[in-house]
Amino acid sequence: MGFSINAGLLDAMVLSIVQRNDTYGYEITQYLRKAVDISESTLYPVLRRLQKGEMLETYDKEYMGRNRRYYKLTSQGETSLEEYREEWRNHKKKIDSILMDEGAEENEQA
Amino acid sequence: MNKLEFLTRLRNCLEKGGMNSDDINDALTYYEEVFLDAGFGKEEETAASMGSPEEVAVNILRESGIQISGPEAFAPQPPPAPAPMPQYQYQYPYQGVPVQQQKSGHWGLKIFLGVITFPIWLPILIVVVSVLFALIVAAFSIIFAFIATGIALTVGGIAALFEVPSVGLMLLGAGLILTGIVLLICKPVLNRVIPAMGRGIKGMCNWIGSLFRKGGKVNG
Repeated sequence: MGFSINAGLLDAMVLSIVQRNDTYGYEITQYLRKAVDISESTLYPVLRRLQKGEMLETYDKEYMGRNRRYYKLTSQGETSLEEYREEWRNHKKKIDSILMDEGAEENEQA
Repeated sequence: MNKLEFLTRLRNCLEKGGMNSDDINDALTYYEEVFLDAGFGKEEETAASMGSPEEVAVNILRESGIQISGPEAFAPQPPPAPAPMPQYQYQYPYQGVPVQQQKSGHWGLKIFLGVITFPIWLPILIVVVSVLFALIVAAFSIIFAFIATGIALTVGGIAALFEVPSVGLMLLGAGLILTGIVLLICKPVLNRVIPAMGRGIKGMCNWIGSLFRKGGKVNG
């Protein structure tokens, strides 16, 4: 509990998980659950959005007699992920400056 | 809800929302996979953790640019109004306030259920109170019967004593024995039983009353 996660942050985390290795929906959700409280149903719209934005692509792979849809990062996804990471670093620094009282009083939240 | 029911309801909602069939199939494939990956024996659990199919459908439709007022747009039975999904809020607010709202919703639901189920609990209440009351009356009647018989036998015995002394003595003795038994056994027992039943009825009334008072406190 505590702080909510916005859409952009969720996109970025999904991209980062897929970057490590190609994976499927259920596993991505389980991974995200280590950090945020989301249900299995939350992820699908996120994956759709990333697919439409051509940051992720999919392929099917056989698993125990059925197809499992795997997600793979595109080169555009790589670029976006780097941008997200940079943005997060800045964002985190600004939040910390206020919340952890690390100076820089002139900051405003982006 | 099992997998089949969840997926069927989801499909219906997406169709009503006017999504094209390719996108619907894509979504259903995904959710079916979630069920399969979660494990065979966990269908109910998985469905519960995903929320209602109507809510899921609203989020999918929104992502494809179709605006739906809410899950109630699909359902004949109104599901609880969906709180806006916290994951999609653009800021970082604390979660305290929405949780409170949910609580008051539960309270409203409680009153609603209380009123709705009134045809069930009122007769039960009446029956329980009536039975306790009947037991008290029955106990009184039995004592009364014993005492009346005792007195009648005693009086009858005295009367018979002058005509047939042996029968009179026997009746008189039986009457005195009976009266004695009533006084010895019934009185102390009833002294405890009758107040206990009275307390039972009173306690029941208090409990019913406290149901309503307690609810009020939680809400306030």
